[in-house]
Amino acid sequence: MTLPPLTVTTREVDRGSPLAPRDHVVGAPSCWVSQGEGFIAWGEAVRLPVGTGPGRFERGARALAELDARSTVDDPVGLAGSGLIAIGSFAFDAEQDGSSLIVPRLVHGRRDGHDFVTRIDPEGAAPFPPPSEAAVTEDPPARPRFAGSSRPDHEWLAAVDLAVHRVRRGELDKVVLARDHLLWSERPFDVGATVARLLRRFPTCHTFHVEGLVGSTPELLLARAGGRISSRVLAGTAARGRTEDEDAAIGAGLLASEKDSVEHALAVTSVTEVLAPHCSSLTLDGPRLLRLDNVQHLATDVTGELTDPRRSTLELLAALHPTAAVGGSPRAAALAAIAELEGMDRGRYAGPVGWTDAAGDGEWGIALRCAELTRDRARLFAGAGIVAASVPEEELAETRLKLAAMRGVLGDPDA
Amino acid sequence: MESVPAHRARRDLAAADAALAEVVTSPPDDLDAPYDLDGLAAAVGATRALLEAVARSGLLLPHHIDAAGIPRYSAADAAAVEAGLTLLDAGLPLDELLELARRTDVAIATVAEAAVEAFLRFVRDPVVGAALDDPATAERLVTAYERMLPATERLVAHHLRRRLVAEAVARIADTADGTAAG
Repeated sequence: MTLPPLTVTTREVDRGSPLAPRDHVVGAPSCWVSQGEGFIAWGEAVRLPVGTGPGRFERGARALAELDARSTVDDPVGLAGSGLIAIGSFAFDAEQDGSSLIVPRLVHGRRDGHDFVTRIDPEGAAPFPPPSEAAVTEDPPARPRFAGSSRPDHEWLAAVDLAVHRVRRGELDKVVLARDHLLWSERPFDVGATVARLLRRFPTCHTFHVEGLVGSTPELLLARAGGRISSRVLAGTAARGRTEDEDAAIGAGLLASEKDSVEHALAVTSVTEVLAPHCSSLTLDGPRLLRLDNVQHLATDVTGELTDPRRSTLELLAALHPTAAVGGSPRAAALAAIAELEGMDRGRYAGPVGWTDAAGDGEWGIALRCAELTRDRARLFAGAGIVAASVPEEELAETRLKLAAMRGVLGDPDA
Repeated sequence: MESVPAHRARRDLAAADAALAEVVTSPPDDLDAPYDLDGLAAAVGATRALLEAVARSGLLLPHHIDAAGIPRYSAADAAAVEAGLTLLDAGLPLDELLELARRTDVAIATVAEAAVEAFLRFVRDPVVGAALDDPATAERLVTAYERMLPATERLVAHHLRRRLVAEAVARIADTADGTAAG
């Protein structure tokens, strides 16, 4: 398939209002924003063919590089996210449909304090209209109602129990089991307003929206800027306290917990094992506590220098995904256990979500704390890492806590 | 009226309370505890994992722990578990049911404490104070308890039902109003 050549123009613009969704005739924008930087993007210039199977990441990278070679790119700004970029999300399971990598028509970005706008026009396409100047209107959301789960949570609990026994028997070290929670609403869920609420509530997370998949992830699977890569691994979770003392005590307990340390170490190793062969140096900082609005996690930051700086973010993603933070360890045994025990298709939950440019730089998170919004339906997900010391009802409670964040953002007053 | 020597009153109390303790720990409709946890799971058609989780949460209390240290469960326990399963079958998520059960447990514990206190003060103490022959005191206490336990259960269950129905009627009316308005 030959993709139409593009004319890509990036220009620095005056710093405007905070980076947030604005209404547009084409609908809710795609989004990748953390700590006020990143971008909001509208429209679809090109949908890159990624397909399914293990080659989907490389296929996307190749298609973008080929498109870049035939396109005219005028980018004097040269910041992360300027020029020709594609925004994407990938299904957790390589064999499932739903992965996409989209070159938008219009990007409003902000990086290192500079604002820029990129216009991307396919050959012969009509001019793309600008978005509204005002931020999206946020009507109070209609109270969402429970619409069931792919499988009842007491069956999920029994699956967790089975997984614990398998880990204790030594069949695997860790497996992440997830469950979903469906909601319906009398009014369609408003994607733009949901993104705006996530940006306010989780300013330090990566807030994303790609084709109805909306969420805020604290985890950075992989970022590449030139030859430098970084990754933030999160595994091991506890609640927040109601007072500072209680919060500190829970955090200290999390840092001291052997169960959580084991879970965390497995997740870190699964990242460093993949990245080490591609890097001349690799540095670990952690584990330390990362406190979020609703939970606190054990976090380790991994940074490294690529031996071959041409190796693209998407190529590295192909090797990294799924890490032990969302799959388990050893990977093959964990994926087999997930397929057998979880009893649902994860869709794009726990898959990579982010952006890449044609040179292979980019930022990718894992789609955690997210929901798939389809008009008046929402599908929320949460998972828990199962290790030998896991207690099923505590894992159930942990997923309930994780689900509560998105339930609250979608307007559930009981969450 | 002849005064009762102090040692005689204490003996009455001990004998009457022993009889009461006997009937309290073995209610007539809940005498036998034929199941261990696996047996209970099989009897009600639940997974052992589910019952273990509920038991660990403190919401499934055994009838007693046998000499080998194994928790034993009665037919009444099985009936209660089946009631819980009915709620799960109807679609109530387990995490919500456990949360609701924990709150119920806290609320009910206060009521139970007050009810037992009332029984001791207003039923047991007067009976014991009447200082009848040992067997007669014991029998009056046991009879009172056997009548009062189901009566209390019926009273609380009935009140809960009235509360549930009233709440349901109010909420359904609200929803209907909301739909009409929206």
